Amino acid sequence: MHTDIAAKNISRRLRAAVEASDEAPYDWAEFQRRRQQSIVTRVIERNRTAAIAASVVAAVVVVAYPFGRLIPRHEPAHVQARTTARTDLSEAQDQVRTRALEGWLAGLPRERVIVRVGTRAAVSSLQDQIAALDDLTSAERLAGARPARLDALDRQRAQLVTSLAQLQYAEMLASANP
Amino acid sequence: MSRLTDIPLPEELIERARHGEETAQAAIYGAVAPAVFALIRRLVGNRAVAEDLFQDTMLACFQRLGDFRGEAPLGAWLRQIAISRCLMYLRSPWHRARLHWDFADDDVSSRPRLLPVTPAASADAVDVERALASLTPVGRAVVWLFEVEGYSHEEIAGLFGRSVSFSKSQLARALARLRQGLAPPAEDQEACTPI
Repeated sequence: MHTDIAAKNISRRLRAAVEASDEAPYDWAEFQRRRQQSIVTRVIERNRTAAIAASVVAAVVVVAYPFGRLIPRHEPAHVQARTTARTDLSEAQDQVRTRALEGWLAGLPRERVIVRVGTRAAVSSLQDQIAALDDLTSAERLAGARPARLDALDRQRAQLVTSLAQLQYAEMLASANP
Repeated sequence: MSRLTDIPLPEELIERARHGEETAQAAIYGAVAPAVFALIRRLVGNRAVAEDLFQDTMLACFQRLGDFRGEAPLGAWLRQIAISRCLMYLRSPWHRARLHWDFADDDVSSRPRLLPVTPAASADAVDVERALASLTPVGRAVVWLFEVEGYSHEEIAGLFGRSVSFSKSQLARALARLRQGLAPPAEDQEACTPI
């Protein structure tokens, strides 16, 4: 008897929750936009080779990137010496390259026509890593870190921006070449 | 009874939408979208997934409007499309894999709140949303279909492709958990407070 009353009470409260619900989805304009997008996606699905290629590139970048960071590089002494000699030049090149890539990335539309879960996750992950690195660089700079440390962080950032640009480029190719 | 089946839509409006008139389709969308979305959101929980399923449902609605014969209200027909989309999702391997990641730890208290509460909802609605969020997706779907949408155990069993006892046991378990999670509503508490 008690259980029955409790069940009725729950039932009543669930129904009341429906009435109280005022959560609205997106409006008609947004629905139409998504409808158009799904039509484009369906067209692209017919020629999915390019899309698969973009996903593979994205997956390779995402999988390979942490290994590239984690594996220590044991280079011979003469290579290290040459590297040190060229450090200034390569840093300057890195910075120029990073700026050029960032300019190119900024020029891309904010939302791609085709958004795939795989590439989307990879892009967000890279953007997060860049943001985290920027944060770390600012903190290190304020703490008076050595220039060598700051240069190392800059190099890491340049690598991340390059990966992001490659990924975006692959996505762009996939969407432009259905 | 779901609000979806109660929404009145003029026959003439449906006819115009059937012939592809965009203003009529927009009017139907405006009338049914909140109820369709609320239903889907209750069944699947996650907002992003709910939006995808909602989009699918509304697309299917406008694409298949020619097949709608008008014997039942449009809302009931639409509800059927929405529920079958949701159950297809709940049965999909993708969803099962996602659950495996989300709920790897079986501790209920560590489960994420799948149904965020809307700011305008009443205190009791907030409690109900929280209690619903503590259920498993299948349990939530069964309790919602039975208690709110008025489906029978036979119908729920048919939708899930399972036996009637599956539906009954899921409902009993879900209700037991809701009973634990739901404190008595505010008015009941007030009624019991000694003066």
